[in-house]
Amino acid sequence: MKPQSSARRRPVKYRQVPHTADMAWRIRGESLPELFENAAGALMATMTDRRYLRRREKREIEVVASDREALLVDWLNRLVYLFEVDGFWGREFQVSSLTDQHLQATAWGERFDPERHPGKTAVKAATYHHLEIVPQGEGWQATVILDL
Amino acid sequence: MANPVKLRQIDEYRWEIPQEGKMRTRGLIFASKAMIPKIMEDRSLEQVANVATLPGIVGPSLAMPDIHWGYGFPIGGVAAFDLEGGVVSPGGVGYDINCGVRLLRTNMKRPEVERYIEDLVNLLFRNIPSGVGSRRKDLKLRDATLFEVLRQGAGWAVKNGYGSRADLEHIEASGKIDGAEPERVSQFALDRGRDQLGTLGSGNHFVEVGYVLEIFDEKLAAALGLFKDQVTAIVHTGSRGLGHQVCDDYIKVMLKAAAKYGIELVDRQLCCAPITAPEGQQYLGAMAAAANFAFANRQMITHWVRESFEEVFKLGPRDLGLELVYDVAHNIAKMETHVVAGKKMKVCLHRKGATRAFPPGHPETPAAYQKTGQPVLIPGDMGRYSFVLVGTEPALTETFGSTCHGAGREMSRHQALKAAKGRSIVQELAQKGIVVRGAGRATIDEELSEAYKDVQAVVDVCHGAGIAKKVAKLKPLGVIKG
Repeated sequence: MKPQSSARRRPVKYRQVPHTADMAWRIRGESLPELFENAAGALMATMTDRRYLRRREKREIEVVASDREALLVDWLNRLVYLFEVDGFWGREFQVSSLTDQHLQATAWGERFDPERHPGKTAVKAATYHHLEIVPQGEGWQATVILDL
Repeated sequence: MANPVKLRQIDEYRWEIPQEGKMRTRGLIFASKAMIPKIMEDRSLEQVANVATLPGIVGPSLAMPDIHWGYGFPIGGVAAFDLEGGVVSPGGVGYDINCGVRLLRTNMKRPEVERYIEDLVNLLFRNIPSGVGSRRKDLKLRDATLFEVLRQGAGWAVKNGYGSRADLEHIEASGKIDGAEPERVSQFALDRGRDQLGTLGSGNHFVEVGYVLEIFDEKLAAALGLFKDQVTAIVHTGSRGLGHQVCDDYIKVMLKAAAKYGIELVDRQLCCAPITAPEGQQYLGAMAAAANFAFANRQMITHWVRESFEEVFKLGPRDLGLELVYDVAHNIAKMETHVVAGKKMKVCLHRKGATRAFPPGHPETPAAYQKTGQPVLIPGDMGRYSFVLVGTEPALTETFGSTCHGAGREMSRHQALKAAKGRSIVQELAQKGIVVRGAGRATIDEELSEAYKDVQAVVDVCHGAGIAKKVAKLKPLGVIKG
């Protein structure tokens, strides 16, 4: 499967920022739900090459946290959990409902198959360090550091 | 980045951050002059100063020569807290609870193994699940069994046929931290760990077959059963997803607890609770459970290392002599008795990227090493070497019986991948006589030698400062990477 050629013309959804010990991501989104969806994409890109993932299975996810930043960390850690307990990796994410303390989302993807999916690095957890969600231009920007 | 922390050189290996502002004690860093510029590049010295602000800290906020930036507490950090009035912090232990190292020795010499190293590495790779998403299809534990593992640690593995009773005498704390409370481990954490017992994981974890390249102290080496050219095996891993989840769960608990108990935090990642508070006790119970999972994990991997050797060399356990030299934890909080200002006191000692280094004659030094001091195992990167040291009296008095734990990264993973681009790291290592197998190319590239500081420099500082004594240097022959 080839990367979509239109990807270059769209604004960058996430990019790595230098960090010695672990992996820091700068994530962008036109809306907060999109920011959370793109953060999930960055997490998947840490663990595997997303292009090889197919839409085979669906997961409904609900997360509750104390504030918006904590919600982002908990959302990502729930995805880490889903991967570790049943090998599920999401290709697409849709956040259908989002407040500062509550998130409801659907993920489409498939289970990890070492024959088909290159494994990159396992993620121990998304952390609170330098964690930030700020308005950026018309949209939003987040910084998250993953402990590897 | 500008470093606002004041740093004063005390002697060749010691640097001090004077007590200032909100600090309740001074910072004491072990490093050579040459290391300081690199250490100043991240904000780890500021973190040493931050730890010094926490309530109930006893003695200085310490850092080992492999210090680098970590969450809240620096990696390479050691801090002791008074049981009354002191705190316990998940950030002082790290995500990988009881990440640690164990060393096995054999009766074989290098030339006997070299010819078969490829077969051996391939078999190890097959027998020990490693890499992203590594799990054991053959071993999925129910809650009741998992609870036993969390309570009994390495002892559970031995009871179930993975290794021998003699192994337990050669593990820190005999492979079991007291006070484990599996009930304090969340269902999420249990689910993550259920089929990960006996797996290596990813990142910097590895199983390495190597040999003794150099002996620094003949007498000590002989007492540890080590001789030149002897084949050895190292296992480096921790508590896997179960431990990571315990850390994540309790960071949330501690963020609330710190506010509840009015603990002022200069950095949110230092979140903690009084040791006497329910939150503190619950974390300690869960952390001990995760630590025991890690001890059992390394014990089971050891069993498969032994089986792999037996299969490749067609030799029985007695002939192979694959005995455990020692197993040390380097991410842990423990209740230990130390002499502080002339008085014996029990403290909650956080070692985050630091290894216990108890001297000869210490009651917690295992019987086999009462005369030598407790073995300290310092893994290097996969292309260079690892070290065996022993604990010393100065370590006990100066660093609460602690020393360094490894090399520490020099490059980010991103930089490492860039540096590895267009090269075959596997082939480069093969040319140096090191066979490497990894689940993915990325993990191997990320872990290339240049990405790490030279562990020799780290060990030399510990030896020079007297907080450990060099015994032997090991060189890798074959490595499986997660």
